[in-house]
Amino acid sequence: MQLEAKNLQHKKTKQMIHRRAFMKSGAMALFAAGFGGVPNFIARAAESSKIIPPYKRNKVLICIFQRGAMDGLMAVSPFADPNLKTLRPTLYMSPAQTQGGMLDLDGQFALHPSLQSLSSYFTEGRMGIVHGVGSPNNTRSHFDAQDFMESGTPFNKGTTSGWLNRAIGLTGHEATPFSAVSITNALPRSLYGDKEALAISNLQDFAIQMQGNPMAGNMAAKSFESLYDQTSNQLLNKTGKESFEAMRILKSTDIKNYQPANGAVYPNSPFGNSLKQIATLIKMDVGMEVAFAESGGWDTHFNQGTVNGAFARNLRDFSDSIAAFWKDMGTYQDDVTVMTMTEFGRTAHQNGTGGTDHGRASCLFVLGNDIVGGKVYHQIKSLAKSDLEDGRDLPVSTDFRAVFSDVAMGHLKLKQTKGLFPGWDGKALNLIKG
Amino acid sequence: MWLKRSIAVFSLIASTAFIPVDPYSSTIRMPYQQAGLSKEQAAAHLLNRFSFGIQPGQIDEVVKMGLENWLQQQLEASVPDTKLDKRLADFDALKMNNEEIVNHYLTPAQIIRLGIQQKIIRNDSLSNTDREKYRQELAKVMRASGVKPVQELHRQLVNQKVLRAVYSNNQLKEVLTDFWFNHFNVSLTKGQSQQYVMSYERDAIRPHVFGNFKNMLLATAKHPAMLEYLDNALSVSNDNERARRQQNNAMLRAARERAEARLNDTTMQGNALLQQAVAARRTQGLNENYAREVMELHTMGVDGGYTQKDVTELARALTGWSVRPMFKNGPAMRLIENLDEVQLKRRGLIIDGDFLFRGDKHDESEKIILGKKYSGTDGYEEGVAVLNMLASHVSTAKFIATKMAIRFVSDEPSQALIKALTNTYQQTDGNIKAMIIAMVNHPDFWSKKALREKIKSPFEFAISALRATKAQVMQPFQVFNWCSKMGQRVYYYQAPTGFPDRANFWINSGALLNRMNFGLALATQKIPGVRVNLLALNNDHEPESADEALRAFSKILLPERDNEENIKRLTAMVRDANVEEKIAVAAAKAKNNNMDEEGEEETRRQVTGDKEDYKKEITSMAQVVGIIIGSPEFQRK
Repeated sequence: MQLEAKNLQHKKTKQMIHRRAFMKSGAMALFAAGFGGVPNFIARAAESSKIIPPYKRNKVLICIFQRGAMDGLMAVSPFADPNLKTLRPTLYMSPAQTQGGMLDLDGQFALHPSLQSLSSYFTEGRMGIVHGVGSPNNTRSHFDAQDFMESGTPFNKGTTSGWLNRAIGLTGHEATPFSAVSITNALPRSLYGDKEALAISNLQDFAIQMQGNPMAGNMAAKSFESLYDQTSNQLLNKTGKESFEAMRILKSTDIKNYQPANGAVYPNSPFGNSLKQIATLIKMDVGMEVAFAESGGWDTHFNQGTVNGAFARNLRDFSDSIAAFWKDMGTYQDDVTVMTMTEFGRTAHQNGTGGTDHGRASCLFVLGNDIVGGKVYHQIKSLAKSDLEDGRDLPVSTDFRAVFSDVAMGHLKLKQTKGLFPGWDGKALNLIKG
Repeated sequence: MWLKRSIAVFSLIASTAFIPVDPYSSTIRMPYQQAGLSKEQAAAHLLNRFSFGIQPGQIDEVVKMGLENWLQQQLEASVPDTKLDKRLADFDALKMNNEEIVNHYLTPAQIIRLGIQQKIIRNDSLSNTDREKYRQELAKVMRASGVKPVQELHRQLVNQKVLRAVYSNNQLKEVLTDFWFNHFNVSLTKGQSQQYVMSYERDAIRPHVFGNFKNMLLATAKHPAMLEYLDNALSVSNDNERARRQQNNAMLRAARERAEARLNDTTMQGNALLQQAVAARRTQGLNENYAREVMELHTMGVDGGYTQKDVTELARALTGWSVRPMFKNGPAMRLIENLDEVQLKRRGLIIDGDFLFRGDKHDESEKIILGKKYSGTDGYEEGVAVLNMLASHVSTAKFIATKMAIRFVSDEPSQALIKALTNTYQQTDGNIKAMIIAMVNHPDFWSKKALREKIKSPFEFAISALRATKAQVMQPFQVFNWCSKMGQRVYYYQAPTGFPDRANFWINSGALLNRMNFGLALATQKIPGVRVNLLALNNDHEPESADEALRAFSKILLPERDNEENIKRLTAMVRDANVEEKIAVAAAKAKNNNMDEEGEEETRRQVTGDKEDYKKEITSMAQVVGIIIGSPEFQRK
C-alpha cells in the first residue's frame, strides 16, 4: 500500500516534468505553497501554454526528390518496345522472364520488381505514373537540372525562390512555423523564398539542449523564452515566439517512441526515416502543408544491375518507404498526396560499364486518394533512334511543370497558380480528381 | 552636395601642402559625435560592422589608437598574423595552384579512373553494389598513387575560412573576402567547379577586395571555378574562320568516325571516350548562363536596364572563354603542352594562367551590347572590353553601392547613403576602399537607426561568439558543422545569388533554436575541439553569485550595450535557478500534504534526476554565458 502510493507519487512527479503539465500544476502549486519571488512571465507562460489552434489539419503535399537522376526506363520499363532490348542487352528485363517478376501494368509498361510494394496502389487507381517527364532545358548537369526543377524556372538561374515556397504563398492563408518542412540538413532549393520553411533532419533535435543535464536545459529554455519575449527586434521576437511554440508542440509528442499505425514498418534507411518523421508531423496536426524529403543514390553509371543490384536495392528502399508511409497514414490518407521527382533520366542505351549515363526524360509517381491513378500518363513514341533526343535519350514529352502545377493546384487548393511557375503558360496535366 | 563637400575637403588638404596620393583613402572623418555616439559606442559599431566580432578589451584598444587609425590600418591589412599564418601552414592546398590541386585532390570517380589507368585496380573488379569493396578500391588507389579525396580539399577550405575569421588581425580583409565571395558566388555543390574554389577565393577574390571592382570582375570571369560553375566553359560558337575551315576538313570527319568506332567498344576506355564525346556534344553551342548572371547578379542588377538580346549578345562575346586543361595525362592537356607559342597563336589560343581563350570557338560576328557596337574581330579583348563597360555602367555603380550599404549599414539603407556610395563608385572607378571610407564618412552609417540593426548571419554569429569568448579552436570543422545546422553551409550555397543578406532569411524557428543551442554548447564545452576558459575571461575571478556572473559576462560579451532589462529578467531566473525544482517539489507537496521530510527529499531527487551537483551546475558560469550568447541581443550587430 505504502509502496503503491509512493509509485503513484513518482509517476505524478514525472508527469510534472513534462513542460506543459509542469507549467499549469506548477503555477497552481506555487499559489498553494505560497512562496514568492517567481517571475511574472512564468505565470504568464503557464497561462499561454495551451496550444492555440491556428494549427489545424491541412492538405499536405509530400515531395520526394530522387537526387542523381533515376533511370525511368528501368523503374517503369517500356518493355514492349523491341528497341529496348537492343539498346540494353544486359539491362533489359521483361514480365515474360519468369525469374524476377516484373509487373506488367498495361501491356506496354511494367514496374521493376522492386516496386512491388507500390503496385497495388496503382491497381487500385490511387497511384498514377507520368512517363517521359522532365525539363525543357536539355542540360545534363545534375546541378543545373536540379536547380531548374526546384526553382521551377528551367531557363533562368536568377530565380531566388523555389516553387514549393511560392506554392505556400499561394494557399491564401496564414503560414505557421510548420507550413513547409524539409527533412534535410539544409533547406532545399525548392523551399528557398520569403515564406518560412523549416529544414530539420531530426525532429528530436528541435529543442533547447544541454547534454547530460535536461533540467539545466529547461531552465535555459525558459531564460531564452523570456529574453526573446522582450527584445525590441520584431523579427527575433516573432520568430522566438514561434520557435518556443513549435518546440512545445513537438515536446507534447513522444517522437522517439513514435508507433506507426496499421502495422506499417518503415525500412531502417535514411529515406524511410525521413518519411516516418513526416508522418509524425502530419499526425500532430501542426499545420504542415508541404513536406520535402530526399532519396539518393540514383546516379548509376556503373553496374546498375537488374532484378538485383544497386538500382534494385535503392528502388526497393524507395518503394517500401513510401508504401509504409501510405499504410501509416491510415485515416489521414485523404489529406495526403505524395509526388516524386528526379532531375532527368538516363541514356536509353547502356554504357560500357553496365550502367547508364545522363539522359533526358524520366518518370515520376503520384500517390493519393484524389489521384486519377491506375494509368501511365505519357506521350512516348518509341525508343527507335529517330524518336530519341540527340539519337540517344528518351525525349521530354511532358514538362515537369505540367505535373507539379496540377498536383499543387488540385491538392493544396491553391487560390491561383499564377506566379507558381513564372514564364510558363503551358497546359497542366489532369491528375487530380474534380 | 557630396561632391562639393569632398572637393572642398580636398582643396583644404591641398592648400595645406599635404598632397595625398589618393584623395579618397586619406579623408576618413567619422561623424559619430554628431549622431550622439560616444567614442566607445562608435568603436563598438565600427567593430560590429567591419570585423567578425568584438574581442574582450578591443573597444578600449581601438579608442586608444583612434577609430580613424584603426580603420586605416584595416584598409591596409598590414597587421602581422604570425600565429595564424603558422596554423595555416598546415594546409597544403593553400599553397597549391589549380593544376596541382586538380591532380592531387580527386573525386571518387576520378580516383577510380586513375586507378584503372595506372593499373592499380582492374576494371572488372569494380562494383557499386558493394560499398565496402568500393571504398577499399578507392583506398588502394589513393595509397598507391598518393592522391587524396576531394573532401580533404574542402575541409581545408572550410577550416582556413573559420580560422582566419576568428584569429586574423586583419578582420576587414576577411569580412570583405566573405562579402565578395558571396557576391560572386560559386559552390562546392557543383562537381565541375569544386576543385577550383580554393584558388578562386585566394586568387580571384582576396587580392581584389580593397581594389577596383572591375579587376575583381575580370578575375572571377576568367577563373575556372566561375567558368565551370556558370557554364561559360561550355559556351562555344562555330561562327569564325577557323571553325569554318575545320568544318571542311575531311580529316576531322575521319577522326569522328574513328571515335564512333571506339564508342562501341565496351571497355572502360571506350566509356571514357563516350563521356568525352557527350561532353563535346554538350559544348556545341551558346550557353547564356554566365552572361545572364554577370549582368543580373554581378554588375547591373535585375532591373539594371539590359534586355534578353543583350544577354545573348554578351554570351556570344564570351564564347571561347574556357579553362586550360590541367588534368595530367588527359588528352587535352597533352595536346596543349605540345604546342609552342607560335602554334598556339596559329590556332587562336590564348593561355593566361588557368584561363584559356579558344579563338576557334569564339563568335566573330558583330555584336551590339547595351547599344554599343563590337566588331567581333577583337577575339579575347572583346570580352574584356564588354566586362569593363559593364563595370563602369551607372546601374552597376548603384547596384554595388546598394549591396554594400545593405551588408554594412542596414537592411534598408537610406537613399542618401546609396547615392553617396554610387557617386564614390563612379568617381573612383569602383574603388572598394574609397567606398568603405565614403560609408563611414556618411552620417547614416552612424545613425541610431543603424546601430545593432543588422542580424548576424550564422557564420558571423558563431565567429563572433568564438571571438567574444577568446575560444581556442582546435577543430574548425566543428564550427562549420554548427553553421550548417544554423542554416549557413558556407561554400555550399547552390544558387549563384549567394546567401541572401536579409535577416528574415536567417531567422527561422529551427535555425534560431540552434543558435541558442550553439551558445549553450560552446559555453559548456560541448563542441569537440573548441575550448573556452570562462574564468580567464573574467580575469580569473570566480563570480560569487549568479547575479554577479550575469553582470560580469554581459559586460564582457555585449560591451557598449544597454543590458539592464536583460539582466533584470535573467537575474530572476538564475537567482531562483532552482525555482523549477522548488515548484515541482511544492506541487508534489500540494498534492500530498502529508509528505514528510524524507518524502520531500525523495521527490527532489526524482525531479532533479538524482543530480547531487544539480544546484551548482545550474547556476554555473557556463550556463549564464551560454544564455547570453543565445540571447536576442547577441544575434544583433
